[in-house]
Amino acid sequence: MAKLLDKQRYKCALGAMQTVQAITRAIPVLHSGPGCAQKLSDSIGSSGYFSPNIFPCTSINEKDVVFGGAKKLDTTIANALKVIDADLYVVLTGCIPEIVGDDTAEVVSHFEDSEKPVIYASTAGFKGNNYKGHEQIIDAIIDQYLEKSEVKEKGLVNIWADVPYQDLFWLGNIRELEKLIAGLGLTPNTIFGYQRGIKNIDRIPKAEFNLLVSPWVSVGNMKKMEKKLGIPYLHYPTLPIGAFETSKFLREVGKFAGVDKEKIENIINDHENYYYYLIERYADMFLETRVMAKQFSVVADAQYALGITKFLVNDLGLVPAKQFVTDDTPKAFQEQIRKDFENLNYGLKAEVGFETDGYKIHQEIQSHDYHGYPLILGSYYEKELTEKMFGHFLNISWPVQDKVVLDDFYVGYTGGIRLIEDIYSVAVQRWN
Amino acid sequence: MSYKIAVASSDGENINETFGSTEKFIIYEVAGGSYEKFEERFYQEESDADQNRCNNSDKCRNSDGCGSGCGGKGGNSSKVELISDCRAVVCKKIGFHIQKQLERKAISFFDVSCTVKEALDKITAYYSRIDNHEPLRK
Repeated sequence: MAKLLDKQRYKCALGAMQTVQAITRAIPVLHSGPGCAQKLSDSIGSSGYFSPNIFPCTSINEKDVVFGGAKKLDTTIANALKVIDADLYVVLTGCIPEIVGDDTAEVVSHFEDSEKPVIYASTAGFKGNNYKGHEQIIDAIIDQYLEKSEVKEKGLVNIWADVPYQDLFWLGNIRELEKLIAGLGLTPNTIFGYQRGIKNIDRIPKAEFNLLVSPWVSVGNMKKMEKKLGIPYLHYPTLPIGAFETSKFLREVGKFAGVDKEKIENIINDHENYYYYLIERYADMFLETRVMAKQFSVVADAQYALGITKFLVNDLGLVPAKQFVTDDTPKAFQEQIRKDFENLNYGLKAEVGFETDGYKIHQEIQSHDYHGYPLILGSYYEKELTEKMFGHFLNISWPVQDKVVLDDFYVGYTGGIRLIEDIYSVAVQRWN
Repeated sequence: MSYKIAVASSDGENINETFGSTEKFIIYEVAGGSYEKFEERFYQEESDADQNRCNNSDKCRNSDGCGSGCGGKGGNSSKVELISDCRAVVCKKIGFHIQKQLERKAISFFDVSCTVKEALDKITAYYSRIDNHEPLRK
C-alpha cells in the first residue's frame, strides 16, 4: 500500500545538485523537469557565483517523454559550456529521463573532448534520497574523472564528511576537521567550500589515505577509491564533538597515519587543557540541575544523532532517552550504528530508532517520560512539539528555520564548546 | 476508448506546418492502439465564431488566431476551437499563448519535426501505456 511520509527530513537524489554547488566553480547541469531544482533549492547560503536559479536545465516536458530528451540534453550541455565559465560540469538526471530511458551516458560521451570536464550522475529520486545522491556525485567524479596516481604526496589526507547544505554546519565542520588533521602534522585535502575546487579534486589520487567521518554516507565511495585509485581509508563513524570523542579521534587518525604517539598526546593535552578550563569556569552552571533537562532526544541524521548523543553523555553526563535517526540509513549499516549508540561511557546505552516518519517520532517522544521537561535537538518540526512539552529545543538538523549558520561548527573541541553554548543559551533564556 | 489527434501537415507525410500558419488539421482517430485518418478540418480566417467572441474588444478585432490576441478569459482562438475535441495536437512550432489556451482545455501539444507516422506511432504508444497504467520504462 502507498504510504505518506510525514515531515520529510531529506530530499530526493537530485538534491545532490547542492553537493556539486559546494564544489567551488562546479556547475550542475540538470536533465529534469522545470520544477525540480526550484523545489530542491534551499535559500540557506546557496546564492553566489552559481545559484540554483541559473543552473542550466533541460526543463523537459511531455514532448520529451514521448520523443526522448537526448537532443535537448545535448544542446543544453553544449550551450552551458559556451556561456557558463565553470571548472567542472556535472549532469544530473531526474526521475523523468531515467524512467523513459534517455541515454545520458551516451550524450555526455559527446563531450569527452571538450575543454572542461563533463561528467554525469543518475540521481533519479526513486533511487534514493540526497544522501545517496551525494554518494553518486562522488562516485561519478571517481569513475569518470579521476585517474590513479603513482606519485603520492607524503602526509596528504583526503577528508570526507557528511552532505553539504543538508548538513547546516558542513562548511565550518570540514574546516575544523582540516585544522585538527593539520595539527597532527598532516596535509588535509577537501573539495568543498571556499578556495577549494577542481585543483583539490586533482589532488585526491595523490593522497596517502582517505579519512571518512560519517556513520555511513560515502563508505561506498571510499571502497571505490581504494579499488580504483589504490587509496586506503580510515572510516571514523562518529562525528567527534567535544573533548572525549575528539581526543579519541585524534589518537585513531594519528595511529593510522603513523604519527609519533608522544606528539599526539601533547597535541591532545593542549586542546584538553583549554577545553576543561572553559568547562571548569562554568561548572556551577552545569551542576545546577534545575537549569538542564534530565533526559534528551536527538532527532537528526545518523552523524548528528550519534555525534551529539555521545557528546551529551560522555562529556556532559546527561541521560539519553530514545534517539531517532531520520536519514533512511541503509539496513546494512543499522546494526553497527545501533552498537555505537550502546557503547557510551558510564555503562550507559541509548536506544535508537531508524525512523523516517515524523508522526511516529512525535508519538514516541510525547509518550516518553522525560522526568520533567525534555531537551530535544532536532529539526524545525520538533520545535512546536517541544514547546507543547515545555522542553528545551535546539534546531540542529534539516529543515532549519530558526537558526542562521554561516560558518559555525560543532565538530572538534571548539565545536563541542559551541554546542554547549547553544544548548545552555536555550536553557538559561527560559529561566531568566 | 477512442480519441482524436490533430496533425498540422500540408502533405500528410511530414509535420511541416506551425500552429499559426497551418490552414488545415488532419484529424486522426485512435482506437485500440491503431490510428486512422478521420477527416481534414480547414481553418477560415476571421470566421464568424471569432468575430462574435471578440466584438467587445478592439485589440482582438484583428486576431489572426495564432495566439497574438484574445488571450483573456474565454477568448480562445477559433483554431483552438476547431480541434477542441482532440486529445493532442502535433505541429512544427507553437506559440506560447496558444499553449496556454490548449492547456486550459487539457489538450496536449507536441512541437516536433518528423514524419506524421513517427509522431503518431510514438504518441499513441505513449497514450496506450498511460491509459493502461503500464510503466513508461523502456
